[in-house]
Amino acid sequence: MQKRILTTCEFCGCGCNFYLGVENERVTAIHPSPSHHVSQGRLCIKGWQGHEYIHSKERLKTPLIKQGNGFREASWDEAYELIISKFNQIKKQSGSDSIAVLASAKCTNEENYLLQKFARTVIGTNNVDHCARLCHASTVAGLATTFGSGAMTNSINEISDAEVIFVIGSNTTEQHPLIASKIIKAVKKGAKLIVADPREIQLAKIADLYMCHRPGSDVALMNGMMNYIIAEGLADEEFIKTRTEGFEEFKNAVADCTPQQASQMSGVPIDDIKRAAKTYAASKKSTIIYSMGITQHTTGVDNVMSCSNLAMLTGNIGKQSTGVNPLRGQNNVQGACDMGALPAVFSGYQAVGVDANRQKFEDAWEVKLPGKGGLTATEMMEHAASGSLKAIYIMGENPMISDPDINHTEKALKTLDFLVVQDIFLTETAKLAHVVLPGVSFAEKDGTFTSTERMVQRVRKAINPIGNSKPDWQIIVELSNKCGYKLNYASPREIMQEIARLTPSYAGISYERLENGGLCWPCPAPDHPGTPVLHKDKFTRAGGLGKFMPIKYKLPAELPDSEYPFVLTTGRIGFHYHTGTMTRKAWALDREIPTGYVEINKNDADRLSIGNNQMIKVSSRRGEISIKSRVVKTIKEGVVFIPFHFAEAAANKLTAANLDPVAKIPEYKVCAVKLERA
Amino acid sequence: MNILKLEKSKLSGLLKSWNDDFEVMVPAVENGNLVFGNLGDYEPVLDFNGRPLLPPKEFMFPQIEKTFSFNAADNTKIGIETHLDNTKRVIWGIRPCDLKGIKTLDTIFLSKYVDAYYEARRNNTILMGLNCNEPCNYGFCSSCQSGPFANGDFDILFTDLGSDYLVNIGTKQGEKAVSKSLKLFKTATDADQKKASDIEAASRKAFKNLPAMATAQQRLPQYWDDVLWKQESVNCILCGGCNFVCPTCHCFNIEDVACDKQISTRMRYWDSCQLGGFTQMAAENTRPLQEERLRQRIFHKIVYTPDLYDGALGCTGCGRCIEVCPVEIDITHIIGRIKVK
Repeated sequence: MQKRILTTCEFCGCGCNFYLGVENERVTAIHPSPSHHVSQGRLCIKGWQGHEYIHSKERLKTPLIKQGNGFREASWDEAYELIISKFNQIKKQSGSDSIAVLASAKCTNEENYLLQKFARTVIGTNNVDHCARLCHASTVAGLATTFGSGAMTNSINEISDAEVIFVIGSNTTEQHPLIASKIIKAVKKGAKLIVADPREIQLAKIADLYMCHRPGSDVALMNGMMNYIIAEGLADEEFIKTRTEGFEEFKNAVADCTPQQASQMSGVPIDDIKRAAKTYAASKKSTIIYSMGITQHTTGVDNVMSCSNLAMLTGNIGKQSTGVNPLRGQNNVQGACDMGALPAVFSGYQAVGVDANRQKFEDAWEVKLPGKGGLTATEMMEHAASGSLKAIYIMGENPMISDPDINHTEKALKTLDFLVVQDIFLTETAKLAHVVLPGVSFAEKDGTFTSTERMVQRVRKAINPIGNSKPDWQIIVELSNKCGYKLNYASPREIMQEIARLTPSYAGISYERLENGGLCWPCPAPDHPGTPVLHKDKFTRAGGLGKFMPIKYKLPAELPDSEYPFVLTTGRIGFHYHTGTMTRKAWALDREIPTGYVEINKNDADRLSIGNNQMIKVSSRRGEISIKSRVVKTIKEGVVFIPFHFAEAAANKLTAANLDPVAKIPEYKVCAVKLERA
Repeated sequence: MNILKLEKSKLSGLLKSWNDDFEVMVPAVENGNLVFGNLGDYEPVLDFNGRPLLPPKEFMFPQIEKTFSFNAADNTKIGIETHLDNTKRVIWGIRPCDLKGIKTLDTIFLSKYVDAYYEARRNNTILMGLNCNEPCNYGFCSSCQSGPFANGDFDILFTDLGSDYLVNIGTKQGEKAVSKSLKLFKTATDADQKKASDIEAASRKAFKNLPAMATAQQRLPQYWDDVLWKQESVNCILCGGCNFVCPTCHCFNIEDVACDKQISTRMRYWDSCQLGGFTQMAAENTRPLQEERLRQRIFHKIVYTPDLYDGALGCTGCGRCIEVCPVEIDITHIIGRIKVK
């Protein structure tokens, strides 16, 4: 007989809930939950039919140890022993910091917390990071600087009641369908929608104003808007005076970026820039929604801080249906950050370099902890390639497809003395490992995910681990115990108890409370209801004031030239998820888009004699791929788009590891390529 | 057979009496959601408005179903194991829209070409309807001749009269189901039947803003090329939800799934005509645009099904497709737009 288990979706950051219907250890149905506040009984196709990968015969069912060009099956003990002996050897020879750990935005909070604890206690290094480095590192850095908190400032449902919605760098319909649902609801109620994107995304079709700006010109566009707002006297002077600092310096910085200047730099008509500015400033319920289009640049932090500037300039922050709202991609990338799977902070963004913080964790964990910040994920690859990083332990990440310049990543990973990969499939990254550990899907374990609106929700086990695989939290516990650092948790519930003890923003979170629904952090006490709206009376920044940042427009790192005349911008589509390890094994999604393609503007295609659905070659200074053409009218001339989900036509063979200097996030949105008929 | 009456307080006992021989599915509430739950696992809620988001078609036509498995370990013969579900089930509390939905599926799956898997489940299921004393949030069944009261397609039909149920027995199967518990029932009086009639009239009267479904079949073809399809589909996110929750949608996909090196299973999955892959073929896609797919769904419900099945409307007016749509595409709104050419 079918049983129904309520859980949180494993795909995107919307954090929908649904019931997994299971019978005889198999998922046999999906039932939406109409009472869930975000989902409201609605799901995207991934939610409805994206879970067949759970039962794929390619699931890893046993540990694997490298043998020749392949692997042989091994017992858990043998795998653990090999890992421990190699880690000990490398630690002895080259020091703790020659080992790094990559945690997982797909795994639960409890698992990410344990993995960063493992890195810091057992290995003794702060070299912990995860794929947030590749997506919202700019957000974490940028919003922390301007507001004090690097997270979505308002809640998802408030979007339905906004009067003006400015979507920049987010193809919301495909990336966060249930958030697009709120945007569309608002528009139906009369809200004004402004969309800025180098591609004419689906939301642009219902926008009051669509601005097709050049990839990487976001600061120019927004500075132009802000210059105009100030010039027209539309700024919220009261808000600026009482709630912020740094305005004068910021005002000077945007003084020469008139709408005319901005138009030249961004390619957006002057009148559109003015109209966007006026519309946004005219309402006290204006909200900014952004995602990778803003963050994945060498100026990612600048782009994010420009969004903060815009919000503060008009007082559209700290109130209902306003705010600066980064849409976190993965189901638990917010949580992985919150849990301290980052090189410079423990959980709750408590800096490792601050003595008091370190003392607190040393007391709790009963071991001396390193105080020097560690390597970011992008730096790990550089250090691996140069040989100073000897080993990496990767959980639930696939840098062989998701890193920029994956030819370089491949060399880097192959240079390592030792690579451990813990995953549910033998991914492109796992294929390079010395030891592969089989983890489990979200359906086979208990835990929590934190969605993009900072809502912590339960993930509930519905079936038993497949084969001889183990829940990821259990693997870390066993490995830690075998290393001599005793961990004793009966279940993820107890891991959350420890998290709550050590993490002020999670202090009021417990499995008991989560039975009644999700909780938005900060939730500092057991009777605190959670905090949907941040920065209400004061900003979380020390001193309570928001900080305006003076930002000048800088060009992307690699611009098109005569040899590589196109701008390649990469991104995602609604049917597949990130490196495709899960979605490409679901027939409904694979049938929609079975392989990669490159979107080319029709005029460009005609000029190059490229037809539709034709195999062509796209190359950059880093590498080349063969890929099918898709001729469209919805992309700017001179720009091409490749979704990064497809290993056989990997967009990231072409991208470059040009990093934002502060956030270290790669510029996935701009690099130079050339197109040729195959 | 007579029309019977059952005191409400006795329903619980009646349901339990079936529990020994049947899997009894009843309306229940889970996390604030109305669902069908098994009597053993859930506390039935007998006073409720509306219907669960997923229709009971799932019991006859599951979302994910094993049809047969084949074992090719031995090259000289392939072992085939057919998976038929002969579980005996009672489903209590089915709304008229869903009774009509099952009737439509019976026509699809049990006519000229009998679907063995649907047949096995269907033949072992006893349908017990519950009339609607008031419209539900999204429903427009009265304009589809499929509610708020059922006029057939049930084994047993209950009507809530206040402290009693009026109980209509519709089939021999229904008669058999109550034969052992007849002592729980009384005979309904003329006054009881009049009360049910009055409740039906009041329920029917309470519907607001009904779409003009009766004439939609004639008017729709005139709108084949109309710009409304593009306008109404502009926000569609291709989730497939409208098909999944529809009581009459029945399209499915077949995939052979390898379980391990030897055994594979032919799986059947719900499919959605709103997805591009539904009509994608080697050379082309016959419905490449979203507006064509929305048009297809509406036409299939209101034009093609009556054409193919003796005037039976494919839409039961349950409103689930409206409720489940993340961007509020609304069939009643579309019907409203085709009023005047």
